[in-house]
Amino acid sequence: MADIKIEIDGQIVNAKAGETLIAITDREGISVPRFCYHKKLSTSASCRMCLVDIEGVPKPQTSCSTPVSDGMKIHTQNEKAKASQKAVMEFLLINHPLDCPICDQGGECELQDVAVEYGSDVSRFSEGKRVVAASDIGPLIQTDMTRCIHCTRCVRFGSEIAGMMEMGGTGRGEDLKIEPFLAEGITSELSGNMIDVCPVGALTSKPFRYELRSWQMVSNESIARHDLTGSNVYAQTYKGQVKRIVSGDNEAVNETWISDRDRFSYEGLTHENRLLTPQIKVEGQWKEVEWNVALDFAIKGLSNTVLNNRKAHKLGGLASSTTTTEELYLMQKLLREIGCENLDHRLNVNNLDEAIHLESNLKLQALEQVDHALIIGANLRLEQPMINHRLRKAQLSGANITALNVKEFDYNYALNHVSVAPNEIATILAGVLKIVLEKKSIELPEYLSAISPSSSSVELAKDLLNAERPVILLGEHIINNKQAASIAQLIAEIAKQVGANTLNLSISANALGAQHVNFVPNSVGMNVNEMFKAEMRAFLLLDVYPEYDFHHANSAIEALSKEDVFVVSLNSFNNDLVAQYSDVLLPMAAMYETSGSQININHDIQSFTAMVKAPDEAKPAWKVLKVLADLLELPGFHYENSTQILEEFEHQPAHEHSQETAIDLSQQSTAIETVWMHNCYHSDALLRHAKSLSMSTLGQVNSASMNANTAKELALSDGDEYLGVPVDITETVADLCVFVNSNQATNIRSMS
Amino acid sequence: MISDNAKKQIDHWIEKYPQGKQSSAVMEALKIVQAENDNQLTHDSIQAVADYLNMPGIAAAEVATFYENYNHKPVGKHIIRFCHNISCMLNGADDLIAHLETKLGVKTGEVTKDGLISVKKVECLGACVGAPMFQINDKYYENLTADKIDDIVDGLQ
Amino acid sequence: MNEVCFKNLDKDQCWSLETYEASGGYSTWRKILKGEYTPDQIINELKASGLRGRGGAGFPTGLKWSFMPRNAQGQKYIVCNSDEGEPGTCKDRDILRFNPHAVIEGMAIGSFVMNATVGYNYIRGEFIEPFNRFEGALKEAYSAGLLGKNINDTDVSFDLHAHLGAGAYICGEETALLESIEGKKGQPRFKPPFPANVGLFGRPTTINNTESFASVPDIMINGGQWFADLGVENSGGTKLFSVSGHVNNPANFEVSMGMPFSELLELAGGMRNGAKLKAVIPGGSSTPVLTAEAAMGMTMDYDGIDKAGSMLGAGSVIVMDDSTCMVEALTRLAHFYYDESCGQCTPCREGTGWLYRVLKRIMDGKGKADDIELLLGVQEKIMGNTICALGDAAAMPVESFLRNFREEFEYYIEHKKSMVKG
Repeated sequence: MADIKIEIDGQIVNAKAGETLIAITDREGISVPRFCYHKKLSTSASCRMCLVDIEGVPKPQTSCSTPVSDGMKIHTQNEKAKASQKAVMEFLLINHPLDCPICDQGGECELQDVAVEYGSDVSRFSEGKRVVAASDIGPLIQTDMTRCIHCTRCVRFGSEIAGMMEMGGTGRGEDLKIEPFLAEGITSELSGNMIDVCPVGALTSKPFRYELRSWQMVSNESIARHDLTGSNVYAQTYKGQVKRIVSGDNEAVNETWISDRDRFSYEGLTHENRLLTPQIKVEGQWKEVEWNVALDFAIKGLSNTVLNNRKAHKLGGLASSTTTTEELYLMQKLLREIGCENLDHRLNVNNLDEAIHLESNLKLQALEQVDHALIIGANLRLEQPMINHRLRKAQLSGANITALNVKEFDYNYALNHVSVAPNEIATILAGVLKIVLEKKSIELPEYLSAISPSSSSVELAKDLLNAERPVILLGEHIINNKQAASIAQLIAEIAKQVGANTLNLSISANALGAQHVNFVPNSVGMNVNEMFKAEMRAFLLLDVYPEYDFHHANSAIEALSKEDVFVVSLNSFNNDLVAQYSDVLLPMAAMYETSGSQININHDIQSFTAMVKAPDEAKPAWKVLKVLADLLELPGFHYENSTQILEEFEHQPAHEHSQETAIDLSQQSTAIETVWMHNCYHSDALLRHAKSLSMSTLGQVNSASMNANTAKELALSDGDEYLGVPVDITETVADLCVFVNSNQATNIRSMS
Repeated sequence: MISDNAKKQIDHWIEKYPQGKQSSAVMEALKIVQAENDNQLTHDSIQAVADYLNMPGIAAAEVATFYENYNHKPVGKHIIRFCHNISCMLNGADDLIAHLETKLGVKTGEVTKDGLISVKKVECLGACVGAPMFQINDKYYENLTADKIDDIVDGLQ
Repeated sequence: MNEVCFKNLDKDQCWSLETYEASGGYSTWRKILKGEYTPDQIINELKASGLRGRGGAGFPTGLKWSFMPRNAQGQKYIVCNSDEGEPGTCKDRDILRFNPHAVIEGMAIGSFVMNATVGYNYIRGEFIEPFNRFEGALKEAYSAGLLGKNINDTDVSFDLHAHLGAGAYICGEETALLESIEGKKGQPRFKPPFPANVGLFGRPTTINNTESFASVPDIMINGGQWFADLGVENSGGTKLFSVSGHVNNPANFEVSMGMPFSELLELAGGMRNGAKLKAVIPGGSSTPVLTAEAAMGMTMDYDGIDKAGSMLGAGSVIVMDDSTCMVEALTRLAHFYYDESCGQCTPCREGTGWLYRVLKRIMDGKGKADDIELLLGVQEKIMGNTICALGDAAAMPVESFLRNFREEFEYYIEHKKSMVKG
């Protein structure tokens, strides 16, 4: 676009030909009122609030839809512009209720703000005001559509960003009503952004309803840590409690959107199951004690079981990857200092000999630019919503996307589904690699000799070879695939040959942080599954909930519950099971209650401070681990804040785990395999305690999906349960496999 | 929800539009489905049309509620749409509407007890030189008088 | 009279292909198929004819056709606007019923000029009879090998379809009409971009009124100058006027532009029952109302009506005698715009309802002394501030009724009854 000069209110401004006027005034800090315009949404030009006067144009023009040209002279404040703006304001207010005192948007209402400047004190409107009947659109968004000014930002958000048109404008004229069509209301995983884009109090946060005024709260930048994006958010707090999470702006990470998971998980912070005081188990009875008593008890228990008799190899350390990098770093440092190499964060992996090793080497902004993506084993929309959003943008710009999955998931963009049972994936990818190598006249490795590529392989190979900027994404459904390691290596090999980037989405939350600080056993240590088979004497657990976190939940619970095993649990939540096997419960600060960092998919270390103090006696885990280390008289734990910990590990080279497993395609299971996924709103402890999310349509999903043939093989029908989960018979699932999406705890997962 | 015959009719309309633009046929599809279901659209029938045309339900609902020719409440077998706009008004439409209401024992917007006829007051139907006029189903009746109305309405069954 | 769109009106089966061809129909199209015309020749004839858009805006058709990027890559469309619904207007209905082939040929000629191989005729949903006539004509034209792909093995293709509306006046606005063809609510688009660049399905599109298209074949047969000479300066040709209201013989009349209003009134049989002329809306409900005096001194052409203080619009002449209560007439028009506002943009959505409610209140005997100023203020705030012309269309009658017949409104407010009807 050519550089041009225009004049705005007598001031010469540089611009590009064809830019919209409002983009320029916003850049130049010239205030033009608006309601329907949103920089990330298409232009609607319907509210008419941004009307300005352009010399030589008889009618006032909307800044949001007017492309500028060289020499244009614009007046945003002259009599004509002001008259139009005031006229629009008056029209907007005639049917808008005067209920600001009881409106949740009060104080952060764009209409209120603009009305102060452009409105009139006296309304000349004496006819009856419009009232719109209340409607319930779900547990997350509160509606009061009488307040709606029909800007359609929420409608456009739905169709353009969420990729599912759920809100629409029904009726016409004065009866135009913004509403969803479906009885279940709004179901998008990004729905809460409608609250952020709504300029008035028509759509507000339901969990936050009637809580507080925006100006009563302190708002600080933080990081949400439920997935690999690490979305930037503002945590809004009042008297030591997180009251609301709203989206932050970071083009490199989440642009200006956040998932509902990131927005509403804070509700879990005040759940009644929070662990609030240190407790010790004395003769089978729990006793609330002071911190020093609990810590002494822990040290004594560890000393008696593993430390005093040089049995550190009988101690196991396990951590959830939802914790901070600092916590993970300190815990591994502590364990290694006392000579313990048994540590792991890969709790949900069935067979760690088949652990996935694949690098992520494409940043989110670059993901938008790919021209082809191959998704393998992921329901991205629910598992990594913001990564899916970037891929959606790529698709809308023309990228061709294929998903190789056990089930045809509901994507919010067009893509090719290839439905395959888990045991077919490695063979299909081997076929792809074979075609690619043959095409490049590269000698075939032995393991490909017996492979004859299927038609699926041919299609996949063709797309990858034709693409200029392809990416291959490996998702969480593969972690327990019997050939997981081979699949990852085949992907790495294919990517190398076709020049594709890769994204390893088989991990989530802060697993990249755990990898960075090497929270895995070295060659002499035991991994999580080995620990449960060994005769362990003690465990140190960091925010672990076995009934959800472990693949081998049964053996985990059994190992932890043994009479002679001493278990120290640092937990943010308590429950019967935790209480059953633990000997000491140390209450830890949860998300937004501690400082620290997360490493996201861009490999950025994103730091955050504590937004609020943890409730009651709960403490940030890094402090607890530091004191434990001090009590054990270990050297090198003189930290005064978490930043000092960060400084210690941030410049360490990330640990490479590129242990080469030989690709082995010989073992082909013929059994019916199950891919087990937690419901997206039950994927970590904080989420499981966030009530509104659990009540939402997505949070209610609990199904074992299989096709009719598989159901027949398993002698199941509708109404039955499979692994404790209701059976859902659908032909969207590949033959002879089951896809479980469950919002329930289970301890029978290890049956596969 | 949508009969095979209706699908055939809808398909005829889909053919008029470019590949992938089948939602252009939504206005006719809604009419076709409405005609098969007592001249009325329901939530489910709107959803069925949306599904058939591969468009979001709310998008079909927007169309179904924007345009005048869709009914969302029970209507008569015959719908009399009486123009009351300016040219018809100047030619006595208001009196004739009152005459029709009295004759049928209903107000505009209502259905006769036997479910045969409903009367609607509508805006200009584009036959102003034939004012006063009304439309019954697909047909226009112009230059109406009270007697003429009686004859026409008596002939409805 | 009846020299262009209505030239076959007196013939039997005037809508048939046979009748149409007997009077020179499709001769231009056949010449095009033989390669005897270039697009520029056609545009030049149209420019010479002085034909202006018959839908109401009066934009020169030749100029409009020249704006279309005919050499742009990809699909282009030509669209006919038969969504007639402005109170007082009913001419396109008769063109579709009585001369559908002229519309088809006009569109075909346009499709050639603009290199648009697909066309749609958007017919209002209630026009079932005109739709059936048009569909019948299309069938005839296809059977006669006049339409389709690579017609007569030439490189000329033109497929034409009818699209039916479903009851929304706003779809007569050309971009709302495009939205409607796309299967959406008829909500006008903001401009720019204009349809010539981003139109139907995002492709370059030209939209003309039914009467405009129907005028093209005869312009091509007889030449642009012939058409221009039928009318007066700045208003070439003949025009269909729908004369309705208090006249003895309400009908559509195709007459030369520039005819004095008084003559048109005579053609329509004069005032009914010999009553006195009180007011005339000359171009459809959205054009300003004129007093009898202003109307009787006016000629029926763009400049003549403009000089009298109104607009030619779609040529929809609503004649009112002295029994008409102007408060009631305006209230009815205000209700129309209130009912037909699409609701998309603020001033129209909120303002049309406001205008109607104040007028209704006056009619209900609850008028207030400052209501006239309020009405004038509200219409002024709508005027010019909306996405499409419906806002202005709603505002203009209010302003002109109050300007020309203010005393009737004052009387109604003060006496809580009509000055005319009591």
